[in-house]
Amino acid sequence: MATPLLLRPIEAAGRALLLFLEELGRVSRIAFLGTTNLFRRPLRVGLVVQQIEFIGIQSLPIILLSSTFTGAVFTYESYEAFHLFGAQGYVGGTVGVALTRELAPTLTGLLVAGRAGSAMAAEIGSMRVSEQIDALEAMAVDPVNYLVKPRVVASTLVMPMLTAIFDFVGMSGSYLVAVRVLNLSPPEFTIRLQDWVDWDDVWAGLFKSLVFGFIVGVVACYKGFYTGGGAAGVGRATTSSVVVSSVAILVMNFFIAYFITSSIAG
Amino acid sequence: MDSSTATTPRASPAERRREHDALGERAATMQVDPVTGAPAGIRYVGVHKAFGDHQVLRGLDLVIPRGKITVVIGRSGTGKSVTLKHVMGLLRPDRGRIWVGDDELTAMKDVQLRAVRNRFGMVFQNAALFDSMTVFENIAFPLYEHTRLRRREVEEKVRALLATVGVHQAEGKLPSELSGGMRKRVGLARALAREPEFLLYDEPTTGLDPILTAAIDKLILDTQGERPTMTSVVISHDMHAVLAIADKVAMLVDGVLAHEGDPDYFRTSTDPLVRQFLAGSLDGPMKV
Repeated sequence: MATPLLLRPIEAAGRALLLFLEELGRVSRIAFLGTTNLFRRPLRVGLVVQQIEFIGIQSLPIILLSSTFTGAVFTYESYEAFHLFGAQGYVGGTVGVALTRELAPTLTGLLVAGRAGSAMAAEIGSMRVSEQIDALEAMAVDPVNYLVKPRVVASTLVMPMLTAIFDFVGMSGSYLVAVRVLNLSPPEFTIRLQDWVDWDDVWAGLFKSLVFGFIVGVVACYKGFYTGGGAAGVGRATTSSVVVSSVAILVMNFFIAYFITSSIAG
Repeated sequence: MDSSTATTPRASPAERRREHDALGERAATMQVDPVTGAPAGIRYVGVHKAFGDHQVLRGLDLVIPRGKITVVIGRSGTGKSVTLKHVMGLLRPDRGRIWVGDDELTAMKDVQLRAVRNRFGMVFQNAALFDSMTVFENIAFPLYEHTRLRRREVEEKVRALLATVGVHQAEGKLPSELSGGMRKRVGLARALAREPEFLLYDEPTTGLDPILTAAIDKLILDTQGERPTMTSVVISHDMHAVLAIADKVAMLVDGVLAHEGDPDYFRTSTDPLVRQFLAGSLDGPMKV
């Protein structure tokens, strides 16, 4: 029976809500199974190491390049502003705080989501559409244990390491631009840096990156695992994995920052 | 499934219990295959399965005889592959019960199902080889996952399997470097690696030329001949091959078992459905 015209928006809203809840249920299931499988045998240490190499080592060039230029451009732009008030000595501290608390974890998360997350979604998605995941199940191999766990563990472990590298290399890029290009004296740069950036800022950034790593791993595996519709479906899963991870990282960034700031203030 | 035991999707728990018991009683009468006289290896009783609004299986009753080759035929979309996936627990029925030997799959949790899958091997339609692994690694994979064989023992076993299926020269190649026929042979070798009790073939000859089709059919016959206790289930559209290799043929129409018999029954049947399907004719009760 056709739905009366007036009830159609309600029906559409209900359907959208159901789809959202279904999606939420599936992603929670992948996150839950990926986590509860952590110490379930087989441990898949070899696969975790392989994924650490793929997500971590192979992402290094892009992280090194991005962090150098992020530090450099942020230094250049902030110098222009601080210089107007004769406060160029604040550049080092400002860049240090921004990098460790915000830029390094967020940009690392976004870069890894784009490079490794998309590849993970595409790989698992093509395994789904070519029945390779069914073949794993048919051989009594748990696909969550074999495919999801190593990727979620690796991306969660690797993201803080990449963020720490981003911090260090970004600060080095900033130092080089400040001292070599903008002619600040080394103490002018480092004194505020030492005053303003403390270990809490670094730990806060690394904690964020741990959460972002988990998000990238879970979203990529979830999108790949539930791929349907052939090659076009794999393409959609890949794009969607990057979009959802990126938005989730930016949203979670706010909530973690809020939580950390209120914890310190409280 | 007959109407006396059918319940609606919104049936009460009491009605569902009655249906469950009735299916159990019916299963007890299906211990022996009526076509071959062999004991039942797998029993489907009143199995229903839908995907969204699309009802695929509508109360399937089917006995797969132990130690024989059963070929399941039917038009595309009649639920043949779905039937196969149910028996390994890759799909769960919406209603109905399935037994493998004396073990009821439909009452099992995922962990228990995994143990049952250890008794099966499956040859997928497109082989479903792991494309990041070589042929050797594909066949060795289930051995490394489920046995404690040493590396040398695994190598010996893999090479023996490759020789059995006639692709011993390809062990270092990736699946993307193989032809369709070779991929299916490797898929068969992988399925045989753990010496399964049940071997399932999902359209093993689809997309192959007639000579390769004959070669795969011979391979299926030889494989069964060398392993007389193994139970094989083949899904196929190739009627010539079906009649050549089957001990039993089961024909599905609209998600139920429409006909079952030995190859002679199908050769001599005057039923319009069977005649049309065997002749591949557009004229008949089945419309495109």
